[in-house]
Amino acid sequence: MKWFSNFGFQRRNRELQEEIDAHLQMAIADRVARGETAEAARQAAVREFGNIPLVQDVTRQMWGGGWFEQIGRDVRYALRQLRKSPGFTITATAMLAVAICANSTVFSWIDGTMLRPIPGARDTDDLVSLQRGERNFSPTPPFSYLDYRDLREQNHTFTGILAYHHDWITLTGGALPERAYIANVSANYFDVLGIKPVLGRFFLPEEESRPVPNVVLGYSLWKTRYAADPAIVGKSIEIARHPVTVIGVAPEGVVGAMPGIREDLWVTLDPLGTDVWRMTHRSGGAVWLNVIGRLRPGVSRGQAAQDLDTVMHNIVAAFPDDHLGDNRITLDPMWRSPFGANGYMAATLPILLAFAAVVLLLTSANVATLTLVRFVSRRRELAIRQSLGANRIQLVRQMVLEGVVLSIVAGAVALVLTSWTSKTFAWFFPANSNPLILNGSMDHKVVIGIAVSSLLAGMLCGALPAWRSAHAPAIEVLKAESASISGGSRNRKLLSGLVVAQIALSLPLLVCSGLFLRTLRNLAGANPGFEQDHILTASVGLNIAGYSHDEEQVIRHKILDRVSALPGVKVASLTDWIPMTLGHKGDDAYPEGYVPHPHESLQVYHAEVAPRYFESLHIPILEGREFTPDDDEKAPRVLIVDQTAARRYWPGQDPLGKKLRIWGGLFTVVGVARNSTHIFVNESPEPIVYMSFFQVGYETIVQVKTEGNPVDLAPAVENAIHEIDTRLPVFDVRPMRESTQMASSFAVVQSALAGMFALIGLVLAVTGIYGVVAYRTQMRTHEIGVRMALGASRVDVLRLVLLQGLWLTGIGMALGLAFALGLTRFIARLLYGIGANDPVTIVSVVMLLGAMSLLACYFPAHRAMRRNPVTAIREL
Amino acid sequence: MNEKDQYKNRIELLQGTLDMLILQTLQWGPQHGYGIVQALRLQSGDVLQVETGSLYPALHRLERQSWVQSEWKQSESKQKARYYRITAKGKKQLATDLGRWERIVEAIGSVMYVKPKESES
Repeated sequence: MKWFSNFGFQRRNRELQEEIDAHLQMAIADRVARGETAEAARQAAVREFGNIPLVQDVTRQMWGGGWFEQIGRDVRYALRQLRKSPGFTITATAMLAVAICANSTVFSWIDGTMLRPIPGARDTDDLVSLQRGERNFSPTPPFSYLDYRDLREQNHTFTGILAYHHDWITLTGGALPERAYIANVSANYFDVLGIKPVLGRFFLPEEESRPVPNVVLGYSLWKTRYAADPAIVGKSIEIARHPVTVIGVAPEGVVGAMPGIREDLWVTLDPLGTDVWRMTHRSGGAVWLNVIGRLRPGVSRGQAAQDLDTVMHNIVAAFPDDHLGDNRITLDPMWRSPFGANGYMAATLPILLAFAAVVLLLTSANVATLTLVRFVSRRRELAIRQSLGANRIQLVRQMVLEGVVLSIVAGAVALVLTSWTSKTFAWFFPANSNPLILNGSMDHKVVIGIAVSSLLAGMLCGALPAWRSAHAPAIEVLKAESASISGGSRNRKLLSGLVVAQIALSLPLLVCSGLFLRTLRNLAGANPGFEQDHILTASVGLNIAGYSHDEEQVIRHKILDRVSALPGVKVASLTDWIPMTLGHKGDDAYPEGYVPHPHESLQVYHAEVAPRYFESLHIPILEGREFTPDDDEKAPRVLIVDQTAARRYWPGQDPLGKKLRIWGGLFTVVGVARNSTHIFVNESPEPIVYMSFFQVGYETIVQVKTEGNPVDLAPAVENAIHEIDTRLPVFDVRPMRESTQMASSFAVVQSALAGMFALIGLVLAVTGIYGVVAYRTQMRTHEIGVRMALGASRVDVLRLVLLQGLWLTGIGMALGLAFALGLTRFIARLLYGIGANDPVTIVSVVMLLGAMSLLACYFPAHRAMRRNPVTAIREL
Repeated sequence: MNEKDQYKNRIELLQGTLDMLILQTLQWGPQHGYGIVQALRLQSGDVLQVETGSLYPALHRLERQSWVQSEWKQSESKQKARYYRITAKGKKQLATDLGRWERIVEAIGSVMYVKPKESES
């Protein structure tokens, strides 16, 4: 091997070869002198000398020398041994590569999301996201600007606190309008994140709340829309038909502060001076900011939370009417921040990584079994080496090295595979209306992860068998020929232990994947409370394209008229929210006459919907009425509540006619709608209030109930809207069924991966038990021959072998069951419609594993049974 | 005597005795590996057959411990071979080994000749 050679080593090697050649030459010369023919003499001399490579090998070990040479020798030896059995080498490498890849893939997803929550930011470990009030799985922005400013200025535990709010906007002014995700940010946004501009500057503190129309461009937007113009700073661009000045460009890869969401450009909180109300109030629609803080060095999250709670307490005391309900502050590290994608990631990915680790353990046990069997058949060679002076440590080292060489190759293969699989994460997320940028990443952390897991696996599958085999006393092995190779009781115990371990590890994998698969089926089969089929939705970017409010209202009516008239459309309506798309709107609502419990959150979900919304989605109105075209801006404000809201705020009363204060305005309840799913099928019901679209609607989503396949109607709907005004941005035109898939995407990730891992586990466990039973049966061929010769029937033989295998399976399954019952508690939160210890799942998994094991044991048993006792006895 | 019989009559060398035998052989002058095998066989009346797999590792180990030195020389039959020569340190070691060997032989002898022999096939 070239890599390990150096001058001294090569010279000594050459000399050793010459020395042995000389020895042989002299031996031959002596024999020829005694009268043997040249050929016979040569053969005899070589035979007498013995195994030349082995002699060279052992002699080389005497040279000692640097560790480098020793390792070089051991690696060469390991490679030679592995080359000798390509079947084993390829199988073991492939299995290890798959198992390592399973780990590194999940880890690369964790790395790309939870460990890199804010790309481009400095020291994200010091960043925490702030949440006010009740903890919630998908919270809405929790702070008003004034509250945020007070927290920022009065705390003692943060070096900086930033705030932002983001939404879609239309970039106008170019050849084609383009939709981009824009963020309103506090002036210190980039400072707190620790990001420096590549061009120009970021915002100044005095610009924060004043109407200064400055914009910072994201790197990719600058490249694509503005052709990476190096002189862009100072130029004016158009956003929603308003001129703004570019003051800087963010570095490549910077996509904003919300994990998993891509922001394209940034402006200050009120760049046009149009949001004065929002900047000067503390409740209702003025609660719009997400807040992230950077802890001072040495400050713990707990201390910081206490500090902020004190400040918040003072704010609440000063402005009690704006802060009804729960105002406690909780802090989350960014890797599990509930704002953005990481809340979902943190609930899913670590569990999948644990599964992958089990797969790796299982694979290591399987490869260890193969290695052990291989070592047992190499015992004679090992014993010779030992008798020639190799000590036990050397032997163990060499054999461990074989495992390590295997796992390094497997790690390299896994590295190549992972560079591809890490990017498959994005596949799990259907097209949706959020600028999601979820994907795995392949950086040094993943490479280190692969290295660590492959080395661990290598040690596991090399060290265990090696230690056992190296304990074999040399003399005994040399004396006893192949008959005793079956390996003594210690090896038998280790083999059995490994098989039991494989079954015990695969059972929980199977149980969990079974539970996940059934959860997925339950989710798909669950009734969300509204009709998803034959519904097409299309977003119209009215609010982001720079139309005046009056223009918007006119266009909305026109859209409704034109789309309703399209052939194939049964019902057309407008809304500003689509359920089960991970998003929702929430605001504090104050029901008249309702006294909240201490710390009760008064936040309600809300949606603004036009007439016939409930009709198109088949959501029954249980009491009162649906919205009508008369519920417009001139009419009194009205709303429809769902059953949860009605029961919570007016238990035992008639909710009709009751009043609710939202955004400072009073709304009268005119109807009660049946409960339906808001975000997840398995959510706990949260109150929702529906408001009239033509009174308070903001975003415009056209919702159409079609006669046939909704996809077929998409072009017609788009055309109808563009006929009103060709500049109207229309996007996210897709069937509702497709949008709502977002709600189950994490369930799909879970069940897809868990299913894959369980399948690998099943195959490994079954091949593992097959291998061991087959091997041990083969070793007992002689014994079985004797038994049959002494009158044992074929059925006896079958039973003998089967029992042996089933005994192992039984122990493994008992252990695995205990393991599984302990483990399923951790996934209980992710299940739907099924208990964590669902007996049907467990029984079917046990039966599946049992049946597969039985089959795996049956083949060797059958083979043993069919043996001719006479030949079996002869075979040693 | 055919090869098989030779093999059977071979006596397993006690661990550590090979070093002593090699050093003793080299007392008579520098010798190469093949020569050492032949010398040991002749002097023991064909009883001691040193395996090359033991001899060469032992020679190289002895050299590393500076008990022997080696150099390449032409043999009488014009064969270039590696000759090993015992060093002063090697001679000291040989004396130690020999002393210990004699004690072992004496100890084993005293055990063997005092006790009555038990069953012998």
